[in-house]
Amino acid sequence: MRIAIAGGGLLGRLSAWRLVLAGAEVTLFEAGSLARPAGACWTAAGMISPLTELIHSPYEVYRMGLESLQLWPRWIDVLERASGQPLHFRRNGSMVVAHQCDAAQLDQFQRDLQRTLGSAATKEMTPLDAAGVSALEPDLQHFSRGVYLRNEADLDNRRLLGVLLDELRRLGVGLVDETAVDCEPHAVVLHKGGERRTFDLVIDCRGMGAKAQARNLRGVRGEVMVVETSEVSFQRPVRLMHPRYKLYAVPKPDGTTVIGATEIESEDLSPISLRSTMELSSALYALHPAFAESRIVETSVNLRPATPDNLPFVRIVEGLVQANGLYRHGYLCGPALVRRVAEAAGLVTEVTTE
Amino acid sequence: MQDKLKIYGREFSSRFLIGTALYPSPAIMSESIAVSGAEIVTLSLRRQNPAQHEGNLVWDLIRQSGCQLLPNTAGCKTAREAVNLAEMSREIFRTDWLKLEVIGDDYNLQPDPFGLVEAAAELVKRGFRVLPYCTDDLVLCQRLLDAGCEVLMPWGAPIGTGQGLLNKYSLETLRTRLPQVPLIIDAGIGAPSQAAEAMEMGFDAVLLNTAVAKAHDPVAMARAFRLAIDAGRSAYQAGLMVRQQTASPSTPTLDMPFWHQADPLTQE
Repeated sequence: MRIAIAGGGLLGRLSAWRLVLAGAEVTLFEAGSLARPAGACWTAAGMISPLTELIHSPYEVYRMGLESLQLWPRWIDVLERASGQPLHFRRNGSMVVAHQCDAAQLDQFQRDLQRTLGSAATKEMTPLDAAGVSALEPDLQHFSRGVYLRNEADLDNRRLLGVLLDELRRLGVGLVDETAVDCEPHAVVLHKGGERRTFDLVIDCRGMGAKAQARNLRGVRGEVMVVETSEVSFQRPVRLMHPRYKLYAVPKPDGTTVIGATEIESEDLSPISLRSTMELSSALYALHPAFAESRIVETSVNLRPATPDNLPFVRIVEGLVQANGLYRHGYLCGPALVRRVAEAAGLVTEVTTE
Repeated sequence: MQDKLKIYGREFSSRFLIGTALYPSPAIMSESIAVSGAEIVTLSLRRQNPAQHEGNLVWDLIRQSGCQLLPNTAGCKTAREAVNLAEMSREIFRTDWLKLEVIGDDYNLQPDPFGLVEAAAELVKRGFRVLPYCTDDLVLCQRLLDAGCEVLMPWGAPIGTGQGLLNKYSLETLRTRLPQVPLIIDAGIGAPSQAAEAMEMGFDAVLLNTAVAKAHDPVAMARAFRLAIDAGRSAYQAGLMVRQQTASPSTPTLDMPFWHQADPLTQE
């Protein structure tokens, strides 16, 4: 089976990888550079946190997140063995904290989880007092309360994207970058020159790149900063609950911390605003004052491709599969969505015990 | 049949004004607005890059609701900032209706009364229909009316706190002293019972956002508020009984002579 995949972000790469392993002959088209993807997958912090996302997402996101949490360790294992590179898949849980005056935010978080998950919530989350918080995160000793979510995970997303690319090359996937295409059933049409190349199946994984061809797709602006300091080290992603600013701080293997992310209903890709840097910085400073002397090594802005209900989708017509709408849940829902894509392609890539 | 809400020459059947921020998704926002029955929705230009006007799907969805748009000046701290943002909003949303916010305190998000009056006077001069978000201070409210506002929106409590009507004495004073002015309780409402209470006190409408958007099920909560606001208005129109100290049976107990009833003063 000859398959064209349009879009070389996380979804396109993962799909190409699973499909080539399942025996397909795959060509991957990317409008920009494959070495440095332009999409949200590069900007993201790489968290796989179905529980913390559940409070502002539909239940389906949680379900897909659990599915992905099963798939990631197996996939990561294969990729690490093939590449010899560690991908830092860290199943170390995550920590949610709030200052004393915002304790109601933690109460609300716990109540919402309890309400959605019932008794399962008790297994997933552990309320912590000051001693409990600092036992897990010594640098958070000034917080009197927190909630620990033991089953959440994160990974080194930028390295993963590189390793996936190497694997695709090694497995003989056709890699066509700097080539924007439109997707049709059984064909892609190159923007430059209008050349039409036919395939048995076309899979559209272009994210924001598909906007002209996808109704109701919108971009949601997100801004992140990357800071570096040796004075604070977290063991896992940490989220600060605050009535106005939501912040996550994700420690990366290279010693940096990714902090984010704003959520603005706009498709503006201009650089991060002063207001956003101040909000992110002061929230980070509130997590630990030593961050004041950290160095800002990067700021980035990107758009999350989202549908009106903020749920990812797979649409199938004869000869064309469209997958999009991963929004802020690329690493959370990606593998589950790839599995649906592969099913749509008529190829079984995964044997599960479900 | 309920009476209509009349503001700035327009009539509305619904007395529920709803905000468009903080929902889990645009689809849930749309559905919540529809279920709320609201005919006026607030929205904010804040944080948008003014150079990019087109193609905002969320704004399109809000426009599709068919409601009167009420752009706000959320986050503005000076009259000048508010006036600038108001002009941009008028251009983009094509309405001269405006929820005027001038914030004086960062932590409380409390309105700055001085900046508010200054901005209101200027905006009225520029042809805006100004609905100012204000505190429950009577003199401030009078100054805003002097500045040309025809509607006032006193807070129940600080934005997003869900504390309900914190200062009922002041709010009652406003209602008594400004009987002809449409008064909309804006901010601080966390529960439908609090919205009903405001309506029972004779306030003309309620504006809220967080209590619906942050509910576990925003659509169901929008319905709950709609019912509560209707109930409160009906109760106000029907005329509430005055609270009594002594119980009086709704079915007279004819067979019991009054001197047999317990008298707390003569016991022991």
